Amino acid sequence: MTVLGYLANGLVFSSIIVLGSIGLSLVYSIADFANFAHGDTMTIGAYAALVTFGAVGGLGGAVLGLPFGFFFALVVGIAAAAVVAVATEKLIYEPLDIDSIGLLITSIGIAFIYRALIQIRFGSDFTRFDIRAQRPIESLVPYGVRVTLHDVAIVGSAVVLVVGLHVLLQYTDLGRKMRAMADNPDLARVSGIRTKRVKLWTWVIGAGLAGAGGVFLGLFNQLAPRMGFNLLLVIFAAVILGGIGSVYGAMAGGFLIGMINQLTPFFSTVVEALPIWPGWLAAALESLISIEYANAIAFVIMVAVLLVRPNGIAGEAAT
Amino acid sequence: MSALTDPKGAIAELTRPEGWVLGVSVAFLLFLLAALLTGALGPTYFLFLVGLAGMYALLSFGLNAQWGFTGLINFSVAAFFGIGAYGSALMTASGSPIAGGFNPLVGLAVALVVALALALLIGIPTLRLRADYLAIASLGLAEVMRLIVLNERWLTNGSAGVRGIPGFFKGWPVLSTFPEAMPGLRLEIVPGSPIFLEASFWQALLNVLLVLAFAGGTYLVLRRAHRSPWGRVLRTIRSDEDLARALGKNTYSFKMQSFVLGSLIMALAGVFYTHLNLYVGPGDLDPITTFYAWVAVILGGSGSNRGALFGGVVIVTIREGTRFLNDVALPIDPAPLRLLLIGVVIVAVMRYRPQGILPPQRELIWPSAVDGGGAPETPDSGVRERKGGGGDE
Repeated sequence: MTVLGYLANGLVFSSIIVLGSIGLSLVYSIADFANFAHGDTMTIGAYAALVTFGAVGGLGGAVLGLPFGFFFALVVGIAAAAVVAVATEKLIYEPLDIDSIGLLITSIGIAFIYRALIQIRFGSDFTRFDIRAQRPIESLVPYGVRVTLHDVAIVGSAVVLVVGLHVLLQYTDLGRKMRAMADNPDLARVSGIRTKRVKLWTWVIGAGLAGAGGVFLGLFNQLAPRMGFNLLLVIFAAVILGGIGSVYGAMAGGFLIGMINQLTPFFSTVVEALPIWPGWLAAALESLISIEYANAIAFVIMVAVLLVRPNGIAGEAAT
Repeated sequence: MSALTDPKGAIAELTRPEGWVLGVSVAFLLFLLAALLTGALGPTYFLFLVGLAGMYALLSFGLNAQWGFTGLINFSVAAFFGIGAYGSALMTASGSPIAGGFNPLVGLAVALVVALALALLIGIPTLRLRADYLAIASLGLAEVMRLIVLNERWLTNGSAGVRGIPGFFKGWPVLSTFPEAMPGLRLEIVPGSPIFLEASFWQALLNVLLVLAFAGGTYLVLRRAHRSPWGRVLRTIRSDEDLARALGKNTYSFKMQSFVLGSLIMALAGVFYTHLNLYVGPGDLDPITTFYAWVAVILGGSGSNRGALFGGVVIVTIREGTRFLNDVALPIDPAPLRLLLIGVVIVAVMRYRPQGILPPQRELIWPSAVDGGGAPETPDSGVRERKGGGGDE
């Protein structure tokens, strides 16, 4: 594959990571804790869509190689993730009388409950959406870009969702309230914003985006109960790179981390070509920069960001 | 904490959960004893479970030294445990892809040194920052460790794991041949169901003694450390880091010490596990190990070593109980069931009893201060407590 091909793959994977990291960052800044159940919220979206798609079928026509039924399933997946997140907030998080660290630990428990229930219901094996795999788009193959119509659909939907979120944050009343709350929750409350309601809307939006990311991840790879938890590390890396609490930082961070993740094979060919001295260093780099360690590279970037610039690209003070 | 505002009520409240824990433990022991005597539970397997409980208690002590003492959120317990397990396995096993065949004491030393290096490596970037950064970074560290163990076949044998691990006492004067030297015994306590005690039983007994030594030593060290001035600084950091800094303490250094101490204890648990199980594989580094330790610590009571001990027993019950349930009653895959139980326990504890079942209250006070009726020495006891509660204690 050429550089262009890797970049195209990176764009697709980035869209998924961006959807996940925006939600995580929103919840982080407004509900004020690191939600470790975010990855499993993605899994919920994916499996809800799987069940819906299995039930309603194709519904006639198709856009971009995806039947109408799939788009319906996508909406159901988004809704399911949002409903589950709101129910969790109402039943579990809201009655808790603990600090943000306690909430963080609780969210790990929630993550396990989500995953265990999915695993009990669907088993731990991989599954796929019942959609025929597409051939790469012919006109792009000469450039070494092997993307399918499905990939185009993923990127397009992600762009629509991200632009929608941008409009919501900048130009609507709810968006202004959310930004006010992220800035200073006490001040927001004093000025008459119903913070509880805004928090619920934050959960709806954050978990909804996560659900969409989960559905697309299932379309891009496969579905498995661990899919969300496995992606959590990458999403956290994106959020920290972007700066905790900044939605636009999360978009940038998600984009970069997703790109780097998919460009790993390209980097390994670069390392092989470079004359690195001494020899053992070259060998070590060659074995470490490989597809198996794509997630580990995200981790290394995260640690480096924490060392050099803990508040990330666009975040507030971290200490 | 209610102990600060109402010591009388706190003591009355304290004895009730303690009584409960005691009652449940005694009932559980009697149940196990009955199972042992009737032959339903093999004595070797029973001792293996005791060893496992000791191992989890040790793991929980390690986490308690980090989370319970200082408030550090470490989600890579499995990684440090894995370092201990793989470090000693790779040095001692006959099936090791590198070196191998060394004395288990060499393995112990190597495992601890590697764990120390790793703890420093992850502590340096994160311990200066807010507590949740350590949580995120350590979760990542655990995943990276798992990936490395899975993929670097030349070092770790990959997914096949390491076999041919000797017992911990290999090469020791008397103890290495102790299991073979002991006679095979045949006990018949309940007529018709005899119990055999053979070499494997004596081997398991040795393991239990080893973990008792490890856990007992760690317990004593931690209890002493927690009450010492050093421990008091850690407790101050846990409740208010800015305060500790305002008092002139280098909180970064104290946090690092606590993190390293806990990580070494976790590696010690890993070393023991290697010589108990005689096989290590990448599955042992699964994140679930981390959260077993977390459940043990928050259920027992963060900061409470007794609680961690109790939590260790609960974990073995969850682990083996789900397997038993799967074999006997419900055909549910034990893996998601364990996950579900762990999740439910975490949420339930945080919801209904965030301080845990056995919160550290009297543990933190020097016994002389309690028995002699003197003023409590702990710095976190307020003036009101000294005035109101001094006479009762």
